[in-house]
Amino acid sequence: MNTLVITRVAERQWHALDDDLVVGRGDASPRPDGRLFLSVDAWHDDVFARLAEAMLATLPRPLHTVVDEADVDLRTRWVQAGLTTRRREWEYVMPSGGDGTVPTPGLTLLPAGTAELDPLRHLDRTIRAEIEATIGWDQMPAAVLSRPLDPTHYAVATELDDYVGLARLALLPRHTKIGLIAVRSDRRRRGIARALLAEILAATHARGVGTVSADVHEANTAAIALFEAAGAHRTGSNLELVIR
Amino acid sequence: MPKATDGIQLEGTVLECLRDAKFRVELPNGHIVLAHISGKIRKNYIKILPFDRVLVELSQYDLTRGRILFRYRN
Repeated sequence: MNTLVITRVAERQWHALDDDLVVGRGDASPRPDGRLFLSVDAWHDDVFARLAEAMLATLPRPLHTVVDEADVDLRTRWVQAGLTTRRREWEYVMPSGGDGTVPTPGLTLLPAGTAELDPLRHLDRTIRAEIEATIGWDQMPAAVLSRPLDPTHYAVATELDDYVGLARLALLPRHTKIGLIAVRSDRRRRGIARALLAEILAATHARGVGTVSADVHEANTAAIALFEAAGAHRTGSNLELVIR
Repeated sequence: MPKATDGIQLEGTVLECLRDAKFRVELPNGHIVLAHISGKIRKNYIKILPFDRVLVELSQYDLTRGRILFRYRN
């Protein structure tokens, strides 16, 4: 690697070149909340370090990245580049099917794909404003930050035709992933999230899929209790690292 | 702009998810490689499961090691 050259090939892309051969790539991706997330792919530690150094020297801070906590090598590379751990998300996996929880009287559950767009959009805006005013979006899983609102990805809870809670879903061929379960602040502590989760577990089971997963911030005790009550167990964790 | 890379790209099938964030991937020729996921897959929280078909880039320095670049929709 004596001839290693780091080249910025686009606004947020770098290549590491060795004799005109690409031996490493760096990429920076903006999230809707404005934060930049980095990734580097390189087989050798020194190539990784040189790419990270070039990106960190050029891009505006703070800069973030995500690593699987079990991936010690990758985590070590980023720590050596100067990043520190900011937050942890547990990955939970639970069996589909559910426990047959019945919605409380007056509560109606709309399976994914059946909600109307306008009231769903209104509920989404309300919940996003509530989150922004409390813990902030930078504490939320990355998977729920962006994307156009598509009713096929949402199960919804309604009371008297009023949309009060939602769950954002990724319906994969052999798996369902919960991106977010949220209930309007004035309707919490009524079992709405539990009913939504039961609907998701039952619907997933009905389409022949055995598991549902969710990423949960380690401090989100309400979500952890909700998922563990549904039989979820931890299968791993992701760390968000930052350099300021 | 140079386009050649130091990796060899092949399709494969995930056999097993290991505890250290790595995967055993079987290639069409029957070889099994130990692969990790690329940075872009990690950033986008794409979950890799057994039996997933994936695009793997093999290291030319060690053909038993790979990097999962893409997960196909089965």
